[in-house]
Amino acid sequence: MIDLIIFLSLLALGYGAGNWAEKRHYRSIAERENATINLPTVTLKSVNIPEHKIRSARLVYGSAVISVDYFKRILASLRNVVGGKVKSYESLLDRARREALLRMKAMAGDATVIVNVRIETSAVGKQSRRKNIGCLEAMAYGTALTVEE
Amino acid sequence: MKFTARQPGINVNVSPTHPLKEFAILAGGLLAIAVGVYLALGLAVDLIVPRLSIDLEKKLAGALIGRLVETEEVDTTTRSLQALVGRLQDRCAKLPYNVTVHVTESDAVNAAALPGGHMVIFTGLLAEMTSENELAFVLAHELGHYANRDHLRSLGRSLVLMTASTLLLGADNSINSMIGHGMVLTELSFSRKQESRADEFALETLFCHYGQVAGATAFFKKIPEDGDPGRFGHYFASHPENRRRISHLKDLAQERGYPTGTLFPLPADLMVNTIPP
Repeated sequence: MIDLIIFLSLLALGYGAGNWAEKRHYRSIAERENATINLPTVTLKSVNIPEHKIRSARLVYGSAVISVDYFKRILASLRNVVGGKVKSYESLLDRARREALLRMKAMAGDATVIVNVRIETSAVGKQSRRKNIGCLEAMAYGTALTVEE
Repeated sequence: MKFTARQPGINVNVSPTHPLKEFAILAGGLLAIAVGVYLALGLAVDLIVPRLSIDLEKKLAGALIGRLVETEEVDTTTRSLQALVGRLQDRCAKLPYNVTVHVTESDAVNAAALPGGHMVIFTGLLAEMTSENELAFVLAHELGHYANRDHLRSLGRSLVLMTASTLLLGADNSINSMIGHGMVLTELSFSRKQESRADEFALETLFCHYGQVAGATAFFKKIPEDGDPGRFGHYFASHPENRRRISHLKDLAQERGYPTGTLFPLPADLMVNTIPP
């Protein structure tokens, strides 16, 4: 009985706190994305800019680690039974990737464009099966070019 | 045409389904499947139990009852109860079981029919007894459970529930320990219908043995109005239930013309714990 109570409170806490954090995070992501909308980030390896016009080219990167909450984890484990889209993890990956991109843009500062952008994802803290911390890291990196006017 | 950067507007990477809705569908669906399996297995138990041979039941019970039988030292109380059960079985309650009586120290005013013909009587029940007829009725009630094989049904269902919860939640879950406790305390639950049939069997046995049915309802009236019903196990599920059983027994006795007569005193061996009324 006590197990069930603990389980249900963790579930409620996970849902409440996870939802609140996610909403807040998405608001902040949307704000910053709008603020940096004029810094293009492209996956092209190079852009057609004459070399003498490029003042600097440097590596920029950003990474974000997002943890799964208890509710999402249970939802995913239920989904594991029947299979299908693990919808509860989708928003985590989405947030991690966008946050990583935003941090990369912040590192780029007043660059004109970031080229050759790549995004990598990895699971963090998954050493043993039993003590699975369950968070994921997204890392975005690229080359920031500053072009003379 | 000039390019203006803007946000895509929709997020294609996140499904719009509300997480609570998804949770409800998944958890509800899995729960429904579990309940369906439990009901199906329960039905299977109901079908199999009447066909289970007594020999097989004894073998299966061996694993469950083994400990109880080993530690049992037969004292005078047990012997006296065994003799009474023997007398009842001899002429009236003919069963394919050799019922073995075990007396267990406990406050519970209860008795239980375990598989393999092992009847457990708690000392709390003996302390409440004031006449042999009353005791005989309770014993015959348990014999009635054997006659209808109710004890296997409830045990089978508990086992099914245990198996299902182990598969779903692992061996160490709360449902298991709940049932486990239930099995140790032998608080096996019977349905209303099963109790009714056992009552009828007990009434017939009482009439057959004594030629009258005095004391049949005496025990039922003993539950104190504000008593803890938990102590009384399956004899006193609840107050309205209790009254319903009394009136059912009275109706039945009247219908069949069973007379009431004088009560016999308890055998001396069983009076040890008795507080005189």
